[in-house]
Amino acid sequence: MLPTYLTLMLLFPLFGGLTCAVAGRKLPRALVEVLACATVWGSFVCAALAAAAYSRPQVIPLADWFASFDLAIPFSLYLDPLSLSMAVMIGFVCGLIHVYSVFYMREDQDYARYFALLNLFVFAMLTLVLGETLPLLYLGWEGVGFCSYLLIGFWYSDPANADAGRKAFITTRIGDVALMIALAWVFQLFGTLSITKVNGMGFLMPVSVITMLGILFLIAAMGKSAQVPLMVWLPDAMAGPTPVSAMIHAATMVTAGVYLLARLLPLIGGSKAALAAIAVTGAVTAFYGATCALAQRDLKRVLAYSTISQIGYMMLGVGAGAVTAATFHLLVHAFFKALLFLGAGCVIAAMHHEQDIYKMGGLRRSLPLTFWSFLVGAACLAGIPLTGGFFSKDSILLAVWIKGGVLYQALYLLGLVTALITAYYSFRLVFLVFAGDNGHVHRNSGLTVMQVVLIPLAILGLFGGLLDLPAYLGGGYLSGFFAALPAGDLPTASHEQEITLQAVAGVVALVGLLAAYLRYGKGRAERMREAQAQSTPLISFLAQGWYFDKLYDLVLIRPYQALAGFLWQRVDEAVIDATVDGLGSGVGGVGGLFGRWSTGKVAVYLISFAAGAALILGYLAWLAL
Amino acid sequence: MSVPLSHVLIVASLMFAMGLGCVIAWRANVIMMLIGIEIMLNAVMLTFVGGSAHWGIADGQLFSLMLMALTSAEVSLALAMVVYLHRRKQTVNTDEFDSMKG
Repeated sequence: MLPTYLTLMLLFPLFGGLTCAVAGRKLPRALVEVLACATVWGSFVCAALAAAAYSRPQVIPLADWFASFDLAIPFSLYLDPLSLSMAVMIGFVCGLIHVYSVFYMREDQDYARYFALLNLFVFAMLTLVLGETLPLLYLGWEGVGFCSYLLIGFWYSDPANADAGRKAFITTRIGDVALMIALAWVFQLFGTLSITKVNGMGFLMPVSVITMLGILFLIAAMGKSAQVPLMVWLPDAMAGPTPVSAMIHAATMVTAGVYLLARLLPLIGGSKAALAAIAVTGAVTAFYGATCALAQRDLKRVLAYSTISQIGYMMLGVGAGAVTAATFHLLVHAFFKALLFLGAGCVIAAMHHEQDIYKMGGLRRSLPLTFWSFLVGAACLAGIPLTGGFFSKDSILLAVWIKGGVLYQALYLLGLVTALITAYYSFRLVFLVFAGDNGHVHRNSGLTVMQVVLIPLAILGLFGGLLDLPAYLGGGYLSGFFAALPAGDLPTASHEQEITLQAVAGVVALVGLLAAYLRYGKGRAERMREAQAQSTPLISFLAQGWYFDKLYDLVLIRPYQALAGFLWQRVDEAVIDATVDGLGSGVGGVGGLFGRWSTGKVAVYLISFAAGAALILGYLAWLAL
Repeated sequence: MSVPLSHVLIVASLMFAMGLGCVIAWRANVIMMLIGIEIMLNAVMLTFVGGSAHWGIADGQLFSLMLMALTSAEVSLALAMVVYLHRRKQTVNTDEFDSMKG
């Protein structure tokens, strides 16, 4: 039964996407909306059935795809705890987002294109997650990149949106080049591209090769998961519709990098240096994202930076070798970040598309459902004790701590500081948006449904901790489920260590909450006044994302433009074009010269004739002599 | 044959060259040019006749007779054209006639 479920899981969204793309404009709107939602929910049902039927990790070959000389790439899927839990999460969260989209995009006339892309995106993401061979994974990887490019630039008539789409596409492409190189190299080294086989053969290669492979995969993940230094695209990608942000930039695509590294951890885990690089990238990104989120004014950009930061945590978890913890955080984060984005969508819809948090306020009373759900999301993000986010983030920090060594302990401290900042900016958002007064909202029937969608996500976020409770509370479901994964052996923490670290994390989160309350809860009116004034250099530095955009502009884009200009005007136009033009005009000139010779005057012809005859005679004479 | 062919050819060449010289030197005058052309044709005829006598074949003689017929026809046409052109532009200077230029 398993092959049927998996095939259907992939085919449903593909069918929905193709139907919407081909015939969407001809079909009635309600039908397109129902079709788009039904296919994704159908996919989720298949994933749930597959989960019910699941017994052990297995490779499920569906068809032959590619077989020449010694390269064979079959269409085969791989179902193991990692891909199964991802598939179930994707089906569920994307299903909710589809329903939400129906109401969010109610005013938009281009619904067919929207739903077609959304469905294709789900298809590509599931291909990425379930693919057993690296090329199949790469196909899904590029598929989500392509769909996200089109969805970020969905409102393409505004050049800024189209630019944001292109920026996302090109930046992630840098990572994809590394992935492509890694793929070619893996084939050259191991003679196969099957993930399961490659994972089992890591010990055959010297550590330096594994390190290089790990770094290449890390660069790929940097692009897709918006890690330092390829993170500049994600804040701009907020140009797309809010449900798209929730889906791509919270639940699915950006986690693909983490998934890739977790998937290949048995291979790259053989190199300590590669793991350390992953961990450092993750921790630095987490810190970077959190600091930038502190100073943003745009509601969605705060969430964008917080996504960067949270994915940094996941990378940190992978870098510590803790696939379970990373996946745990990935799943819980998907729930609460989708919740936060969709909540933000409700707020934005209710505020007539106002996104400046300093112009909001008082939504606590006018949008109570959104408020409570958003509060849950923010609490999860902040890691307030006993929420899902608390347990998942803490399991990563715990894994980093018990990994030991100076490097990992430093990273643990960085993670802890990040947690403090995270709690602070999460509640800054809550206080600025929902506290105070002067909230005028714009209600419609769609808003009610949109808010209802938040409830299941809020419940999942809040109780997500139950997925993987710490050992002293009886152990978790995920840990048992993931125990089969070949991901290296981690030292286990004692209960005292766990409790101590969780207490520390809890205190840190509460301190952040308290600080946010003092500054933005009590001093809200004052902050609103300050926001009108000129911002300090530090605030601008953070608001601009540490000026990374400007740096790249200076270091990469300007020289590139200068080089392009040089090649265009100096080389192409001045040398190549000039040569060809000169050749043409030379031939033309010579022709003109001969043309002038035919004057029509008998005398000229006669002299020419005589001269010609003399030349021939002379030549003959020269031959004869 | 008492006169060797080479002598005949030398005379013919000289005549041809003089005819050409006449055409080029008096190119401003159509009539003088016609005369030059006639001299060149005569040089050719002389070559034919000389060759015919040298090899004892009558073809060359025949050709020269045909050439005489041709030249008389040519001259009558050419003189008619000269008269016509003179009437058109009141001159026999060939440089004035360049409407055939490419």
